[in-house]
Amino acid sequence: MDDFLQNNGFLIVTMVQQALLAMSLYYPLMSGQLSLASPGFYALGGYVAAIIGTIEYFAPWRDALGWSIFPLEWLAAGIISGVLAVLVGIPALRLRGIYLALATIAFVEILRVICLNLEITGGAIGIFGVPQLFESRWSYIWTFGPLLILMLFFSYRIDRSRVGRAFKAIREDELAADAMGINPTRYKVLAFVIGAVLAGVVGAMSAPFLNTWNARQGTFDASIAYLAYVLIGGSRSMWGPLLGGTLLAALPEVLRPLKDSRLIINGVVLVFASIYMPQGIAGAVGRIRNFTVRKFGSARSEK
Amino acid sequence: MKRSVLVTLLFTLSVGTAYAENVATPIPIGIGVAQTSNVALLGEEEVVGAKIAEKYFNAHGGINGTPFKLIFQDTGGDEAGAINSFQNLINRDKVVGIVGPTLSQQAFSADPVANRAKVPVLGPSNTAKGVPQIGEYVGRVSAPVAIVAPNALKQAIKEHPGIKKVAVLYAQNDAFNTSESGTFQETVKKMGLQIATLQKFQTTDTDFTSQVTAVLGANVDLAIVSGLSADGGNLVKQLRQMGYKGPIIGGNGLNTVNIFPVCGKYCDGILIAQAYSPSADPKNVINAAMAADYRAKYKKEPPQFTAQTFTAVQVFVEALKKVEAVTKKKITQLDLGKVREELNKQIRTGSYITPLGKISLDHEGEIHQENFYVAKIKMDANGKTGKYVYLK
Repeated sequence: MDDFLQNNGFLIVTMVQQALLAMSLYYPLMSGQLSLASPGFYALGGYVAAIIGTIEYFAPWRDALGWSIFPLEWLAAGIISGVLAVLVGIPALRLRGIYLALATIAFVEILRVICLNLEITGGAIGIFGVPQLFESRWSYIWTFGPLLILMLFFSYRIDRSRVGRAFKAIREDELAADAMGINPTRYKVLAFVIGAVLAGVVGAMSAPFLNTWNARQGTFDASIAYLAYVLIGGSRSMWGPLLGGTLLAALPEVLRPLKDSRLIINGVVLVFASIYMPQGIAGAVGRIRNFTVRKFGSARSEK
Repeated sequence: MKRSVLVTLLFTLSVGTAYAENVATPIPIGIGVAQTSNVALLGEEEVVGAKIAEKYFNAHGGINGTPFKLIFQDTGGDEAGAINSFQNLINRDKVVGIVGPTLSQQAFSADPVANRAKVPVLGPSNTAKGVPQIGEYVGRVSAPVAIVAPNALKQAIKEHPGIKKVAVLYAQNDAFNTSESGTFQETVKKMGLQIATLQKFQTTDTDFTSQVTAVLGANVDLAIVSGLSADGGNLVKQLRQMGYKGPIIGGNGLNTVNIFPVCGKYCDGILIAQAYSPSADPKNVINAAMAADYRAKYKKEPPQFTAQTFTAVQVFVEALKKVEAVTKKKITQLDLGKVREELNKQIRTGSYITPLGKISLDHEGEIHQENFYVAKIKMDANGKTGKYVYLK
C-alpha cells in the first residue's frame, strides 16, 4: 500500500485536482454558459500562493503564521479570483454561446501575457522554490481531497436549491427564466464567480504541489482539456466533471507503458467516448440505470 | 498539540518504509526527458545522445564490468508530466540517478521531488538561473546562458572593433530567450557598448516590420536576436531584406539547422555561441567516437543537446566507477539508497573529459566547463543548405 502511494500518489492527487478544475467549468455550464476562463483563474490563484510564499515582503507573515499561511493563501486566491470574476463576468456574460467562449479565451490569454511580462510573476521562468505544506506529493490529498468533498456537497445542495433551479432554468431557456422573475445576469455572474473562486483556490493549492508556478499553467490548451473533462464526463450532473477529470487525467499515465503510442491511444479513447457517449460518462451510466430500472421494474423512480 | 498529532499521522501515512534493497543488474539509470509534446523537438535530440552513450560505455565495459541500462520515462512538455516521470523512475524503476528534465521550468517542478527522495539528478539542458540551487542532489551539465552567451559578443567585437550601438531583440513569451536576452543586455553594458534599441516579439510572430524599422532607425552596428528557429529566422531574414548590413548574433534558439530553410541565404554570417563543438579538439577521442556514431546514423553533425545528454550519462557512469573504488564493493552489492547518496557525492569530485571538453561539477552541482565556442553560419551558394563553421 505504502509503495503504491509512493508510486501513484502524485497521480491520484492530480486526478482529484483535475476533477476540481473540471467542476469549476461545470458551474457556468450549469447555467448554460460556455466559459473557458478557468485556467486563467487557476493560474491567478497559483501566482497568489507562489508570491505570498516566496517574496520578501511577506516573510514576517510567513514566520509569524507558520503553516497557517497556507489557508490564508487559499482565501486570498479565492477572494482575488472572485473579485476579478465579477469585474470580468458582468461585461463578458452579455455575450452568449461561442462568443462568450471566445471572450473567456481572450481573458486567459491576456492574463497569461501580463504574467509573462510582470517582474513579480517571474516572467517566463516563473516562480520557483514555492514553500511546501507537505513533504510527500501524496500528502497533498489532505488539501485537495477535503475541497473535492466540500464541492461535491456544495453541488449536491445547490442542485436542489432555488439558485440551482434558477441556473437550470436559464440553461434551458433564458427568456422564459427571465419572464418567470429570475434575474439572468445575476445568476449567470454568480455561476461564473463560483467557478472562478474554485479555480483560484485550486491554483493556490497547486503551486506548492507542483513546486513551481509559471505562465505555462494557464493556457488555451488547458481550457480545452478542462472542457473535454466536462464533455466526456457529462455536463448535466455533478458526477460528470468528477468522472471526466479523474479519468482523463489518469489516462495518459495509465497508458505510460505503451511508450510512444500512448497519446494516440489517448486520442482514440476520447474520440470513441464522444461518439458513443454523447451525454458523457455520467449520462451513459444514467441511461444504463434507467434501462435496468425499466426492465426489472425497480420501485425506485429516477424522476 | 493538535498539530503535532496531525503531523505524526501524516508522517506515518506519507513516508514510505525504507527497507534495504540492492541495486538491480544491469544498473538502471533514468532518462526523464520530453519524448512527446512540442518540447519533444529538443527531447528527441537528448534521447539520441543518451542511447549513443549507453551503447558506447557498455561496449567499453560498463561500470567496471557490470553493464548499465537506461530507462526512459517520457515527461511530456508540462510540469506534472515531469513529476510523474521522475516518480516512476525513482520508485518503480529504482534508478540510481536521473538525467532530465528537458526544460528549466520542468526542472523547478520535478527536481525538488528527486531531491527529497535523495536521488541525484543531472540536467542535460536546464540553463536557467537557480537550477543547481534547488537542492544538494541537483546538478547540471548544461552551462547557464550567462556563461555561454557572452562569447558570441566577444567574437563580434573581435571581428568588428568599431561596434558601439547595439540593437537587442528577443521573444518575450519564451523563458529561455527572455533570460538569455537579459544576459546579452548585461554583457553589452559591461563592455561599454550602448543598447540603442530593445525590441520584443512573440515566438508566434511572422511579421517583424515594426521591430526592423526601429533597428534601422537606431542606426546600430550590431543586432542580437534571441528567438526560436521560426521567428528568429524570419526576423533575421527581414532585417537583411530591409537593408541591415551589420553583424548579427543569434541566441541558442537559432542554434539549429532548422533555421536554414527559414532565412535561406540571409542566414549567412550569424554568429552563435556554443557550449559544444563537434570538431573542436581532434584529440578528444570520446567526442570523436560520439560524433562518428551520430553522423553514421543521421548524416549530420551532432547537436548540442545530444552531446550534453551523452555527457550527463558519462558523468553518471564515471561517478559510479568512483563509487565502486571508494566503497570497494560492486554497485549491485550495495543498498540502493547508499548508492544514490555516494553517487551524488562522487559526481561532484574530480573532472571529466567529455564531448564538451573538460568539465567538472562544483559542490552545488553547477557545471564548470573549460571551453566554449563560437560558430558562424556559412550558407552554400544555393541559399538552401549551409553549415556551422566553428571559429577559434
